[in-house]
This record gives sequence, C-alpha cells and structure tokens, in this order.
Amino acid sequence: MNRHFWIPLGCAALYIAVIVPWVALAAGGGGGFDGVVNSIESRYHQHAMRIPLMGLASVVAGVATRGGVDGVHVAEFEHFSAPVDGEELDRLVEEKLGQGWERMIRETSRHGGEQTLIFSHPEGNRMGLFVVDLDGQEMDVVQVSVDANRLNETILKYKHRDGDENASD
Amino acid sequence: MKHRIVAFILGAAALVAPALAQPSPSPLPLPSPVEKELAARAANVTEVTLGKGMLDFAAKFMDSNDKDQAAAKQLIEGLDGIYVRSYEFDKEGQYSMGEIDKLRQAFATPEWSPMVHEHESKSGESTEVMMKMVNGEPHGIFVLAAEPKELTIVLILGPIRMDQLSELKGIGGLGGVMGPAGPLGPTGPLGGVQHAPHGDGKDKGKTAKGGDQ
Repeated sequence: MNRHFWIPLGCAALYIAVIVPWVALAAGGGGGFDGVVNSIESRYHQHAMRIPLMGLASVVAGVATRGGVDGVHVAEFEHFSAPVDGEELDRLVEEKLGQGWERMIRETSRHGGEQTLIFSHPEGNRMGLFVVDLDGQEMDVVQVSVDANRLNETILKYKHRDGDENASD
Repeated sequence: MKHRIVAFILGAAALVAPALAQPSPSPLPLPSPVEKELAARAANVTEVTLGKGMLDFAAKFMDSNDKDQAAAKQLIEGLDGIYVRSYEFDKEGQYSMGEIDKLRQAFATPEWSPMVHEHESKSGESTEVMMKMVNGEPHGIFVLAAEPKELTIVLILGPIRMDQLSELKGIGGLGGVMGPAGPLGPTGPLGGVQHAPHGDGKDKGKTAKGGDQ
C-alpha cells in the first residue's frame, strides 16, 4: 500500500465524517429529534422552546423507572400561529425521522388546527416513540425510548402499593 | 488510479446514502391512492396503524393476572396488525361509490368472505363486514362503515376469536366499532350473527352470511 492509496481514502473518510453531516445540518437536515424540530422551526418560522435541564430529567426518569423510560427529548412551540397542512407536516416528520420509524397514529383536523402524529421505532427490547401534537396554538414534540417490561414492572409496583393501601383503609 | 476510483465511490456513496433512506410505504393492504384522496378531502382524519411489533409492545403492558387484560393480551399477541381509518367530511357526497368499490375490491379474493351487508336507505348508512377464513378459522376481519358524512374502515389481521373481539374496544379508533352498538359489538350486525339470531326484521336490506366455514 502506498500513499497514493491512503491520501484519497483519508480524504473520502474525512468527507464522510465531517463534511456530509455539516452540509446536512446547514440545510436544516440531520435526522431524529433535532432534525424534526429544526425543520418545523424553519418551515413554519416558529421558535421552539427547549426544556432546560431535560438531559438531567431524562437521566432521573431512567433511574426512577430502572431504564423503563429513557432518552426523553421535549420541545415546545408556544403561540404557534402558522397554518399547518396535516399531509405536509406528516411528510416533513417522516422524512426527518428516516427509515425504521413507522407512523402509528395520525389525527388531523383541517378546521380545528389540531394535528397529532405518533411514530414508533423498535429498538431491540425497547420501543422508541415520537409524538408531534398541535393543539390550537401550542405544539409539543416529544421523543422517548421505552422498555415495556421494565416500565410495566414499575407501574405494577405502584399499582400493587396502591392496592395494598386501599385494602388497609 | 484504481484506489482513487475506490475513494471516489466511497464519497459518492456518502452522498447517495441519505437519499436512499426514504420512509417506508403504508403497510395497510388497502389501495393507498384511495386513502390519500379520501384524506385530502376529509375535514377530520384519524389513522391508526398498529403492526405486529407495536401490538407485541402494547401486550407487554397488560397484566396477565387480570382476567380481562389477560384475554386482551392473548388476542393481541396473536394478531398481525390492526388498521383503522376514519374520515369525517364537511358535506355529504364527498366520497363516491366508486371509491367504496375500490376499497372493497382489495378484498375480492377467495380468502375473504362477505359476512354482513347492511344498508339503511333512509339514513344512507351502510355497513359491510368481511372475514378472512383460513382452514375454517377467522384470520382477518374487514369492516367498512359508511355514513353520508363519515367513512370508517377497520382491518384486523391475524387469528381472531370472535368472543374476544370486544376486548379491543380500548384501542384507539376501535371503540365505535367494537362498542355495544358498533358493527362488531354484541348488538351490532356481526355480533348478532355470532351471538343471537336477528329476528325483528326492522333493518331493511340487511344480509348476514356465515362465511365459508
């Protein structure tokens, strides 16, 4: 192997690692949660409010539910005044989420300004859920990863505790 | 030179990869253009698409120790999918019989048998129930409920126990169909076929078949 091989290969690797993500982000691209929120911001000229310390809240949720709920992302658009076409919003979210995400629920009202989209994404034992909900002038975008078995254990623990308390009353 | 070509191909692949990552098409085995046309005209649209993975996931939240939930869990775990489409229109006549026929044609195969056809000429409401039979066992059910300003389609795929169907009423969009007065509810047309004979003769134009059991 001589350097005639490594130089172009190195350039290609650098291009893939740095330039492609940079161009994608500059174009309002990038997938996942940030990609969807950025695209909604640029398409409807609205500004999303990221919840402060959400990363910490996500860690706390993960610990409290023993991994039942993880990877929580929340963005909120207040005073969302732009008219929304349900079909277009659906397409935008689908494109940004990319492959592997399937739309589970779509509820759209032409006159009432209500739009709900729920996508799911199997992640081994976990299920990724992505929700976009517009109700009047407020839009919420939420992503969460759920381990059904662990979350159910937590739910049942509190259910049984409630049951015991009611029984003792 | 050869290595430069390899590097070029890698670079080109990096450019093309995002374009290939397109969202997957709707898994609902209905004619998709009809769905899109109906959705474009409707004032309110509700679409529920629960594939096998999501149903298995939902089943994990059901308590096996609870009698009712255990029955629902057993039913859901066996299913391949639940699909609901509900379209509400502003005015009458915003969908055509041609579109209804296109929806029906998707199920015009030997596996699918018409079970119920109910039409009330006074109100203009009609309900159709078709069932997929495999070796004499129900493996799918299709419900088409049409009202002048509303169209509801429900498709459930997978082995179905009719006596457990009402357990699905808690799933989004199925409440109206599985509820007491819904087409698959205990007093609905198919519920009547399964559980009690129709004998009042009040509904004109109603037919109920037993399928090809």
